[in-house]
Amino acid sequence: MAKQYDVLFRLLLLGDSGVGKTCLLCRFTDNEFHPAHISTIGVDFKMKTIEVDGIKVRIQIWDTAGQERYQTITKQYYRRAQGIFLVYDISSERSYQHVMKWASDVDEYAPDGVQKILIGNKADEEHKRQVAKEQGLQLAREYGMDFYETSACSNLNIKESFTRLTELVLQAHRKELAGLRAAAAPADLARLDEDELPPAGAEEAPKACWC
Amino acid sequence: MERGGSCRGFSREMEVPLEVLRQRESKWLDMLNNWDKWMAKKHKKIRLRCQKGIPPSLRGRAWQYLSGSKVKLEQNVGKFDELDLLPGDPKWLDVIERDLHRQFPFHEMFVSRGGHGQQDLFRVLKAYTLYRPEEGYCQAQAPIAAVLLMHMPAEQAFWCLVQICEKYLPGYYSEKLEAIQLDGQILFSLLHKVSPVAYKHLSKQKIDPILYMTEWFMCAFSRTLPWSSVLRVWDMFFCEGVKIIFRVGLVLLKHTLGSSDKLKSCQGQYETMERLRALSPKIMQETFLVQEVRRW
Repeated sequence: MAKQYDVLFRLLLLGDSGVGKTCLLCRFTDNEFHPAHISTIGVDFKMKTIEVDGIKVRIQIWDTAGQERYQTITKQYYRRAQGIFLVYDISSERSYQHVMKWASDVDEYAPDGVQKILIGNKADEEHKRQVAKEQGLQLAREYGMDFYETSACSNLNIKESFTRLTELVLQAHRKELAGLRAAAAPADLARLDEDELPPAGAEEAPKACWC
Repeated sequence: MERGGSCRGFSREMEVPLEVLRQRESKWLDMLNNWDKWMAKKHKKIRLRCQKGIPPSLRGRAWQYLSGSKVKLEQNVGKFDELDLLPGDPKWLDVIERDLHRQFPFHEMFVSRGGHGQQDLFRVLKAYTLYRPEEGYCQAQAPIAAVLLMHMPAEQAFWCLVQICEKYLPGYYSEKLEAIQLDGQILFSLLHKVSPVAYKHLSKQKIDPILYMTEWFMCAFSRTLPWSSVLRVWDMFFCEGVKIIFRVGLVLLKHTLGSSDKLKSCQGQYETMERLRALSPKIMQETFLVQEVRRW
């Protein structure tokens, strides 16, 4: 039987409450947008398989409650992520200011080689804009991250940003993933019990699987 | 209609015959009118009647009596109005406002932005942050308050929320969320006894309780179960407390992952989590669920 995917890894959506993390995820995995939806309490996740550079990548995307106090619960999942979306809402200056706090938490709790990109969501709400696109770009430059303004509502840059982060993770792990397409078993970077993932580019990493 | 079991047990909604309903209403009226006597002498009977389901017309009142929020209000006349007039800390107001339209968005009370339901929800949640500034607002309080508002006015809902946060689920919503994490561990060790198969499977898959029980417990199943079941669970919860939440959790886990047959189609982590997120309607159906919960 053919492999259903070549590699499996985990991405994480972080950002203040109400910036649209769940909507980004629904748009990406199910191409749906529900103006009427409920707040996320705790953690949730969805899966999707995409193909990047001929590699079938199964991504597990974790959605987290944005309120600060849930971080005691969600932080333990940071270190198991290979890629992180830092999300703010272009109509909320406060959520933009908080990106710095989210980024420093990531530095503290996520593995060293974790890939990050910055997302300014709700780009369709131009009339409510509080954060200029230039501010997003500047912050992304400071952190050395890619940046997208997205809209889950109008489906702007959703696929692009998810694909980009996936590419970055693949690049960061290219050594471990070498020869993947020829391998018989998929590489699994996202086992929940794989607590001690070697950082990207670690010399001792086995060929394609850390199971 | 259903394999094995009786049709009635799996029917979509339990219709209580009108005559029975009238009888229950008069029994409940008698209880509510002589509450202290009933509580002191016939608590078992109250419990049984809560298990059978509180008549909808009296549910809001009964919850206030059961939770002690009625007494709390009487001891604090004017307090809610006082809190209601205060502006509140912008730090909390921002988070609360972002949540108002994200609670039961299909319920007629909460459907319109800025409508009465959402306004009352704001007032109740804001008042709580002023009542317990050291705790502030926790996002899981919003669905709890919303369910209460479906049954009683804002002031009554506020005191009922206070009772839930302080007496029923203490520590669930406070800063470090320690109580909910601890209860996750307790649930898991209870599962070991109740359903060793489910316990073993979840252990093997390394699925932490926090992944599936956070929303269940923090929202007292209000976002998980079909509506008629939510109400029945809350009737029992107000009478018997948090153990009802544990029992419901255990029933759901046991009937979802409790046999090798059930596990066949959820071998992996992801499949298991998916299964726990999309529970079978059969096991959430009110009659079945209440019957299972009462077995303890």
